[in-house]
Amino acid sequence: MSATLTPPASAAPSGSTAPMIAIADLSKTFRRRDGGTHLALDRIALDVHEGEFVSILGPSGCGKSTLLYMVGGFVEPSSGTIAVGGRPVTGPGPDRGPVFQEFALFPWKTVLGNVAYGLREAGLGRSAAEAQARQLIERVGLKGYESFYPKELSGGMKQRVAIARTLAYGPAILLMDEPFGALDAHTRVRLQNELLGLWERDRKTVLFVTHAVDEAVFLSDRVVVMSRQPGRIKAIVPVDLPRPRRREELLLDPRYQRLVIDLEAMIEDPPEDLPA
Amino acid sequence: MIALRRESLLGLLPILALLAAWQGTVAGGLVPPALLPPPAAVFGRLGQNLVDPAFLGHAGVTLYRLFAGFLIALAIGVPLGLAGARIRALGAVVRPLVRVLAPVPKIALYPALILSLGFDDASKIVLVVADALFPILLATFAGAASVEPKLVWSARAAGTSAAATLWKVVLPATLPAILTGSRIALVIACIVVFLAEMITSTDGLGYLLVRATRTFQIVDMFVPLLAISGIGLLLNGALALARRHLLRGFPEEG
Ligand SMILES: Nc1ncnc2c1ncn2[C@@H]1O[C@H](COP(=O)(O)OP(=O)(O)O)[C@@H](O)[C@H]1O
Ligand SMILES: [Mg+2]
Repeated sequence: MSATLTPPASAAPSGSTAPMIAIADLSKTFRRRDGGTHLALDRIALDVHEGEFVSILGPSGCGKSTLLYMVGGFVEPSSGTIAVGGRPVTGPGPDRGPVFQEFALFPWKTVLGNVAYGLREAGLGRSAAEAQARQLIERVGLKGYESFYPKELSGGMKQRVAIARTLAYGPAILLMDEPFGALDAHTRVRLQNELLGLWERDRKTVLFVTHAVDEAVFLSDRVVVMSRQPGRIKAIVPVDLPRPRRREELLLDPRYQRLVIDLEAMIEDPPEDLPA
Repeated sequence: MIALRRESLLGLLPILALLAAWQGTVAGGLVPPALLPPPAAVFGRLGQNLVDPAFLGHAGVTLYRLFAGFLIALAIGVPLGLAGARIRALGAVVRPLVRVLAPVPKIALYPALILSLGFDDASKIVLVVADALFPILLATFAGAASVEPKLVWSARAAGTSAAATLWKVVLPATLPAILTGSRIALVIACIVVFLAEMITSTDGLGYLLVRATRTFQIVDMFVPLLAISGIGLLLNGALALARRHLLRGFPEEG
């Protein structure tokens, strides 16, 4: 095995600075309808550093989304702590921008309205917000679609809008929950490339949930492998592939191939396409 | 668009059939014309009345009560439904109240309303409010309770406060349900305002019907019925137009 496996407990920091996201001893228990409890996440420990691209890889139901929602402040932990930028998470905030598999665009707003939303909330006037939103829309390749409603767009276009809407308010951290999971293979690859392009420019901290091994390896600095029932971190695998990465080169790179094979072997459960 | 027009043309057929049955009943002598006048006579009288200021005054009074009641019901039902669905403590109070009050026939309250508010507009408007409120409240409540959480989260992450998501996200996301409730409420409001005017009034379309009955003006008895039916049709059409505009971004319903 050429991949170096790091035991989860000593999630090795790659630099000397304090982690951007510090997750310690984090557990989540859901109440079941029959009155019992369900341990979805069991004592998760993970540090993510500024500018790092970390993927969370695991079978459906292992708690990937729940973990991301807790970092986002949307769901409360049952126990343990999450700190972002050194401060404990108490709720959602514009330092952490989510991108969901289901896009979650506001159907009553146009593309422009969706992207301008966070800018308006940040206190910008209408024309300033719209001018900035137009630039972002152009950056994600949707120039000309400003006045379209989400329902008039394809899945890939919707996700571009959702990414632009989130980038608009300038979060230091992107929390992406299987953002390309609902897209066809071709669109998926295009958006992976574009996301990597955006990331290489801004170097935002990214926590990226996926159940696709190739996607995780292509994008990430580290891959957190999870197992289910209960959701635990099984291994944290560094991806020591040079950047900037180009898909055509990577596919031929033996190190890439090795990583994909190793990671696939680690996920014992076949990834299902069940909505969790 | 063409399909839509064809559908509304098809929708005319049953109405024409109803009129034909009416005409047939009269022509066939099944009912004496003293009890059921032919449609032509009623529509003719309606046509005359539509340019008669006295009749229009009565229609205006009915419309005023209907709109006042409907708008007040909207102003109470929408905020209460939104807040009740999203604020747990308020929901715990509102839900049992709605369960107990919704099935009560509001018209039964009318005598008490007359005693406390008098014969004029107030008692009738309150009755319309009482009847129109529940369809709006129930629809808003159900709609607001089932808003996709990720819409709210997206706004929260963008910096919207938890309280502000109520009108910035939950309200627009609930608009389809609110409009559905409003449609039912408008129909009910038409019925109730008319009934209230029939029970006791000195003006309005319902009063015109009762007055015509007392004086055996059979044709005039049917005119207010046609008028309120026409008002309902127009309001429904106006609401459908508003719906198409307001929900232009929402996925079409099945
Ligand atoms: N709100 C909830 N209530 C109860 N159980 C939940 C809830 N959310 C998630 N779960 C359960 O927690 C586990 C992890 O879910 P999730 O985080 O969605 O997994 P993943 O994203 O990895 O597919 C699953 O067993 C799921 O059924
Ligand atoms: Mg998930």
